[in-house]
Amino acid sequence: MFRRIFLFDEDSLNSSVTSYTNASQSTTTIMDYSLKSSDTQGSSSGIFTDHPGLNPCSERIVELQYDIRLKLGALMPKESAQKVLEASEALHGESNNIAFLEYLLEDLQQNGVGGEAYKDAVDLSKDLVSSPLEQFEIISLIPMKIGNLYFSFTNPSLFMLLTLSLVLLLVYFVTKKGGGNSVPNAWQSLVELIYDFVLNPVNEQIGGLSGNVKQKFSPRISVTFTFSLFCNPQGMIPYSFTVTSHFLITLGLSFSIFIGITIVGFQKNGLHFLSFLLPAGVPLPLAPFLVLLELIPYCFRALSSGIRLFANMMAGHSSVKILSGFAWTMLCMNDLLYFIGDLGPLFIVLALTGLELGVAISQAHVSTILICIYLNDAINLHQSASFFIIEQKRV
Amino acid sequence: MLEGAKLMGAGAATIALAGAAIGIGNVFSSLIHSVARNPSLAKQLFGYAILGFALTEAIALFALMMAFLISFVF
Repeated sequence: MFRRIFLFDEDSLNSSVTSYTNASQSTTTIMDYSLKSSDTQGSSSGIFTDHPGLNPCSERIVELQYDIRLKLGALMPKESAQKVLEASEALHGESNNIAFLEYLLEDLQQNGVGGEAYKDAVDLSKDLVSSPLEQFEIISLIPMKIGNLYFSFTNPSLFMLLTLSLVLLLVYFVTKKGGGNSVPNAWQSLVELIYDFVLNPVNEQIGGLSGNVKQKFSPRISVTFTFSLFCNPQGMIPYSFTVTSHFLITLGLSFSIFIGITIVGFQKNGLHFLSFLLPAGVPLPLAPFLVLLELIPYCFRALSSGIRLFANMMAGHSSVKILSGFAWTMLCMNDLLYFIGDLGPLFIVLALTGLELGVAISQAHVSTILICIYLNDAINLHQSASFFIIEQKRV
Repeated sequence: MLEGAKLMGAGAATIALAGAAIGIGNVFSSLIHSVARNPSLAKQLFGYAILGFALTEAIALFALMMAFLISFVF
């Protein structure tokens, strides 16, 4: 086994255009790659005129590096060309040492995926990644395929399962059947608080129905609320995965609720539900335009409640990551001035973490209230819930 | 060239935050006005204000999300 660290010679690091000392330079790498690969594929002599820093006698080195890249590309067919390039460059590290390169190539050829060199390439290329969106990457943990359906058990599924099973266990164990008391302790009153929290908006926002009929909807709303209430803050745990930062999951939630609400609307009002699209007292010539204008926001509700949750989670987590990146870089600069200045980003990160926790909980609240408002729209058509409260008071 | 255009686009996307700032300011200024007129409603109004704040903030995050998408995804 070659010791990687001794094989870096200063020359090769300084002379070559691409250097791997800094992860943030990945863009220059990509640009350089297109230049280099086109050259090596054509005639390998052209590269030395473009890169005067390269040693002219290193034709063999360029060839070897190119071979390593090809071999790695063959070993990881799922990855994009850019990722393969990053992995291969991280592996050979632009080394000038022919023996080292030959050793790598041989290891790749003989041992393939199980070999030392392949593992090194994968590990090293992981360190290069610097995008703050990298934390949202979906990795399949247990690959599964049913026909053409991609059915893998991925990290979102893992964290969703983990969070929800813990919450459901909590709910089960502290309530009456699992051994709760009639005088609740702290955990039991937390669960009761969450349960009670959903009943109130359902009673307040939905009008025109008696209490029992209204509460028919509350289990569904309660499930949505509990899901986002626990899945949003769970993403704030370092190294965990934010389930609700994915388009697919939030849109799945909001579309299913939207379809359900539309069905409820048709059930309650029959075809009269379509009058929702036309405000009362509109002159007939204007009607076609107004129907269209009302239809668009109605359908957009399905998108907007999903995108709101997704955007909140994604933008919040990315900005926390970017700012903590600032703090970390300043800390690593080995300079007293930067060390003192580091307190700035650090406190911003702290404040932002607090804000994120608040946002995570308030988004669950907001989506619950909006579902109630939409449900009220579907049941009562144009009348708001407060109208019914005023009516009741008058009687 | 493309890199520069990307950065300019990401910067321009954050201009939208001005509107969100005005919106959030408006929400809370209205809250203060309302509570000053009728302090007994303070608790109920605060709930509404938080709802309005969350909705306005979500719009701000759409802009921020565009900036992130432009600078990191493409």
